Amino acid sequence: MTGTAVLSAYGPGTEALLSGVLSGRPAFAPVQRFDVSARRVGVAAATAGSPQLHAEVARVVGEACDDAGLSAADRARTPLFLAIHGDPAAPRAAAGGRTALTPEAFAGTVAHTCGLTEQDLRCYMSACVAASTAIGDAAAAIARGLASRVIVAGGYLVEPDQFALFDAGRVLASDGQVRPFSTGRRGLLLGDGVGAVVIESSEAAAARRALPLARIAGWGRSGDAFHPCQPRPDGHGLARAITAALQRAGAVAADLGYINAHGSGTAASDPAETNALRLALGDAAATVPVSSTKSLHGQVLEASGVLELIVTLLALRKGMLPVNAGYLGADDGCRLRLVLDEPLATDAELAMSLNCAFGGANTAIVVGLP
Amino acid sequence: MMPLEPVAPTALGALPAAASDAGLVVLSAVSWPEVTTDNEVPPLAGFIESTFSPLLAEVAARALRRRPDPKPPGTVTAIVMVTALGDVTSAIRVAAAVDAGKRPSPLLFFQSVPNAVAGYLAARWDLTGPVVCVSGISAGLDIAALLIDDADADEALVIRIDLGVASDGLDHSAAILVTRPDRNDP
Repeated sequence: MTGTAVLSAYGPGTEALLSGVLSGRPAFAPVQRFDVSARRVGVAAATAGSPQLHAEVARVVGEACDDAGLSAADRARTPLFLAIHGDPAAPRAAAGGRTALTPEAFAGTVAHTCGLTEQDLRCYMSACVAASTAIGDAAAAIARGLASRVIVAGGYLVEPDQFALFDAGRVLASDGQVRPFSTGRRGLLLGDGVGAVVIESSEAAAARRALPLARIAGWGRSGDAFHPCQPRPDGHGLARAITAALQRAGAVAADLGYINAHGSGTAASDPAETNALRLALGDAAATVPVSSTKSLHGQVLEASGVLELIVTLLALRKGMLPVNAGYLGADDGCRLRLVLDEPLATDAELAMSLNCAFGGANTAIVVGLP
Repeated sequence: MMPLEPVAPTALGALPAAASDAGLVVLSAVSWPEVTTDNEVPPLAGFIESTFSPLLAEVAARALRRRPDPKPPGTVTAIVMVTALGDVTSAIRVAAAVDAGKRPSPLLFFQSVPNAVAGYLAARWDLTGPVVCVSGISAGLDIAALLIDDADADEALVIRIDLGVASDGLDHSAAILVTRPDRNDP
């Protein structure tokens, strides 16, 4: 990875995100952006104002290209993999105009705005593993020589439709806090997240004398084969993704210095993830520091994988691991070495970011310092 | 019993050829509508108001039933969904409820992402591979090939679906079960 850029509930930029998550103060607040008076829960982690998804994705992708030092010629050869739910305008468009509002058209305008090639662009709509799947696919394609550089971006900005759906599904935390792996956890809260990373082969980076920020060391994807929207309780599906990612990284569990967990804060997901970590990591599951930063920046849906990977690499580079906020006490089904109370200083060089989604979709990405 | 009369192939009928061009071996292929009786999508319990998930489940089941040989034990099958606009019917219903100040049905929450029906398929057919949804057919086929080459799957069920509400008023879908030439014995 040679470039990153982000917008989160803590504001624009990686510095705001890092200082926000290391502050340990969750970004949740009453929603001002739209009317939530008919909802059971009215809290989310939203940045100020009413940012527009297209403008923010284009700005963040451009900033990631700038961060990587990509020239106009470099950009013109680089495809975009974009993780989004869809064009926010599509559901309210007139029937005749709807066909023009595909995710691919959305990504195409972002690519055009940013000077990227519109060849080989992709949109991932696989819910909360959309961005992490795109990152794994980009890394795999580069490792196999099918591409030399890919920009992976993801974007979700808190808006009324998904908010209403999650509220109707009774998965939003009614106490206004996300408490992953904790007793008394009541669910998730949505958040704003737009992130982009430039991933390229070490040869491509070296050829333009670019200094890598981090390396994608391993990746794994798997399915639970269990239920439309519930995770497999024994964790076997996610465990396979973790094992595959570690094997690709040439690493063992004890090499991991941090895990940025999926940690949705829901009743079913957190113990399933705990079981997966125990299955895949063995004894190391009790010692490797774990936190779910969804407790701080919220659940950013399709963008989760890229926002949380950026959090993970920022934490490694800073040598400080963010807390698992909202913790009230131990849950016997979720016994892990959680980072609690204050950030944990570390000299770790290897970490893992986990994401899970409806459909039993799981991803694990191993990231290391260069 | 009268044989079922096939309907004229649609553009989705090109899916197997595109898969071959992408270096994939096609184990089975189906499309919707396939025969003249394919005029009403069978309902799927738990999924409401939209044909997206029921149709996707129907074509996927047909493709899986028509595999030439029984699935070898331990075979890992990825699910790769390809759709231009996704479940636009459900999205329109949700937007209408929100604009009317109403609460959408909780069932619409579960089906609001294509992963949900993939989870149904995975559980029903023991498909333990990755679940992916992308927007373009070439991307979907490239991903299927990459997942197999990367050993995260032995084969992939690639399902394309586009609802009529997004285009010509007719729902179209196609599904293929594919593998790579060198993975005949997973």
